[in-house]
Amino acid sequence: MSLHSIPEKEIVAIILYTSLFFMIVAVVLIIFFYFSRQKIIQKELEKVDLILRYQREQLHAVIITQEEERKRIAQDLHDDISSKLNIVSLNSHLLTAPNLTESETAEITENIINLTTKALENSRKIAHNLLPPVFEKFGLNAGIEELCEEFETSKSVKTHYKNEIDFDDKDLDRHLHIFRILQELMNNSLRHGKATEIWISFINIEGVNTCNYEDNGIGFDSSNAENQKGLGMKNIDSRISFLEGTIKITSEINNGIAVNFTF
Amino acid sequence: MDDFLIYSSYIILFISLILYTYSFFRKEKANVFFIIYIVFSFLIQISMEIMYHMHLNNLLLMNTFVIGQMILLGLFYKSLFKIQAQKKVVVWSMILALLIIFIQLYNDPKQIYKFNLFEITICSLLVLIFALMHFYNMLGDNKTYYYFSIGVVAFMLASTVLLLVGNLTHNLSNEFKYLSWRLNAFLVGVFYFSMIVEWKVSFSKTKNLAN
Repeated sequence: MSLHSIPEKEIVAIILYTSLFFMIVAVVLIIFFYFSRQKIIQKELEKVDLILRYQREQLHAVIITQEEERKRIAQDLHDDISSKLNIVSLNSHLLTAPNLTESETAEITENIINLTTKALENSRKIAHNLLPPVFEKFGLNAGIEELCEEFETSKSVKTHYKNEIDFDDKDLDRHLHIFRILQELMNNSLRHGKATEIWISFINIEGVNTCNYEDNGIGFDSSNAENQKGLGMKNIDSRISFLEGTIKITSEINNGIAVNFTF
Repeated sequence: MDDFLIYSSYIILFISLILYTYSFFRKEKANVFFIIYIVFSFLIQISMEIMYHMHLNNLLLMNTFVIGQMILLGLFYKSLFKIQAQKKVVVWSMILALLIIFIQLYNDPKQIYKFNLFEITICSLLVLIFALMHFYNMLGDNKTYYYFSIGVVAFMLASTVLLLVGNLTHNLSNEFKYLSWRLNAFLVGVFYFSMIVEWKVSFSKTKNLAN
């Protein structure tokens, strides 16, 4: 049998169907690529949008933190210093009044001295809160020791601090972030967690500096994303990204909180 | 050589049948229509083999396979699609294609025992389009049945042409007659192998994770 025995009609049909098949496939492929391109571009745009939104949120957080900090300082100044200086000024005016007896003058002077001492002490405390002098002079280790002491004496929390890392004083800028993170965590433990015991330890695991933080407070549901979006948490997150480290927060309700971060 | 190609593709198909049934009953993760498609292919292959040994014309089965493949893969992709419009496109295009094919067969019943060019073209095209729609959906999303879909597209593009020229090869000399069928058997083997690759990537790993 040879090719010529096939009816011509059939050969034409085969050729037609084959070319039709390829034509349709080509059209479909072109449509496919066209829509794919559009979809990819749209995805890229969404990604850029997401990054922008994240940056905007960061910026908002920064501004809000700044405002809160200002408010706090203003309140401290107003409550602790301005009010006392006001009374001092009143008392000084009293001194200028005529016909004061000796004992009255003595009393007023004593008042003034007492109040100025208190105002001085408060101003020192405020400055100390803003940037602890111990931290600046003696480094992170001493700073955290003092922080723990402060929490133990004034806030009746038991703290356990252990350090196995020799901190380099040249990295003080980075250490300030760590200090702030711990400060924030401790404040949170106390304010939200109602914790009575706090454990802090610095360990070097295979060349990576790690900080473990734990408390015995009421904790929160760490699987709930809403719990990780507070201002404090955002603050910690951006500090961690400054340190180019990683952070892992695990917590269960009524089971305290455990935070691991590297720096 | 021929036997090796054909039987190795049977074996590959059988292995994927076992693997997918295993993961289907174990985790109920594999797609129902996909399993049915594998079972269907396997049954067709076996019956074709039997018909070959009984010296019967198995082109009727071939035509059944092409139509069944379109329906099952269509349903399979429809179950993967999430957009309602795409599901509608699949259903309506399949109904339309089946309607046209039935009208054609009603008018010309002899076509059942030949390589039905129209039917092959329409069915392969639709499966190709469904697979491409699935690829489109997968852009930027998780890859599901990715390797299998690659297999579908490659197999459909190549083997459709081979099936279309099927009627020609009847009349060729024995020397060349089987060339295109050897090629087709090889492509079928590769296609079935893509199912195993798919299983390896999508199903064996999740199983390990669960353990």
